[in-house]
Amino acid sequence: MVFEEIYTIYWQKIFRLCMGYVNDYDTAQDLAQETFIIVWQQLPSFRSEATIGTWIFRIASNNCLRHIEKQNRFPKSELPLHVTETHQPTIEPHIEYLYACIAELPEIDRIIISLELEDIQQSEIAGIVGLSEANIRVKIHRIKEKLTQQFKHYEQ
Amino acid sequence: MNSNINFKNLWIQQTASPPDANELLVKVRHLKMKHFRTLIVVNILLVATSVFIISIWVYYQPQFKTTKIGIIMAITAMVMYLSVYNRSIPLLKNDDIVQSTREYLNHLLSIKTQQQYLQTTILSAYFILLSIGLCLYLYEYTSRMSILMATLSYSITTAWIAFNWFYIRPRQIKKQQTKLDDIIEKFANLCKQLDE
Repeated sequence: MVFEEIYTIYWQKIFRLCMGYVNDYDTAQDLAQETFIIVWQQLPSFRSEATIGTWIFRIASNNCLRHIEKQNRFPKSELPLHVTETHQPTIEPHIEYLYACIAELPEIDRIIISLELEDIQQSEIAGIVGLSEANIRVKIHRIKEKLTQQFKHYEQ
Repeated sequence: MNSNINFKNLWIQQTASPPDANELLVKVRHLKMKHFRTLIVVNILLVATSVFIISIWVYYQPQFKTTKIGIIMAITAMVMYLSVYNRSIPLLKNDDIVQSTREYLNHLLSIKTQQQYLQTTILSAYFILLSIGLCLYLYEYTSRMSILMATLSYSITTAWIAFNWFYIRPRQIKKQQTKLDDIIEKFANLCKQLDE
């Protein structure tokens, strides 16, 4: 698969994962771009042990988690690229609230629920995160319950 | 809204237009250059110092063994520091990131713990080697001076070394440690989340 193809197919998905992780439009763009830079670098060494999707989501998840370290290392202004000065388009408050709730979860939970909402099979999520499928199922159930609670609260 | 909120439907409505793929590659080059520059500057500084010391050896032809040992120790210290420093700044090496999150976090954690140990140990070893090297190096020249001058030379050197050892070194170590401790704690916390 060529890079351009991957980029077109996965950009939105990866962006949403990053957005769920940080809930900040610009940071999410930066994280998504970093992910694709790594994908571009690592693509020649990709072997079909995993599906390309699992592979890309692994990179994206790990890159998000690694962000913790980078927060200390690079002040944000040092990141060179500022795409086209796009700012977040106005979106429905419900969507905004969902992303805000997810970004409040513990880091690993953010990744898991984002992958689940991206319609990725639980067995695949297990492969991305490195937990058992049963474990993932329990976690997803708990997270969804929590989100539902928060949404009910929000509705009132 | 009922209890079956369609999160998936809300989730996919978040969109962002992808930036031009070429811009990404420009960014790669930019970042690479930046890392490379820091690496080059530190290396040039220490290599230049080493070359300077060696040229003193060649030019003045020291007679005493102590002088030569001193020079070798100082250069060893710098080479050691450089090799560790160079390894601590990987040039955008991302080979490990394709592992599963659990493996990746464990990997990062072990690297950081190792780095923490290396930094303190290597920094101390660097100072010790450099200080002893300097004292040995001075011996030949001070032995030709009057007692008073020799004492003075050694006092000043010792004071300088003490300043480095008791002030600069702990500060450096503390600065690095706080940063690393913080990162290690955060990574450990992520690992804990996986086990919950």
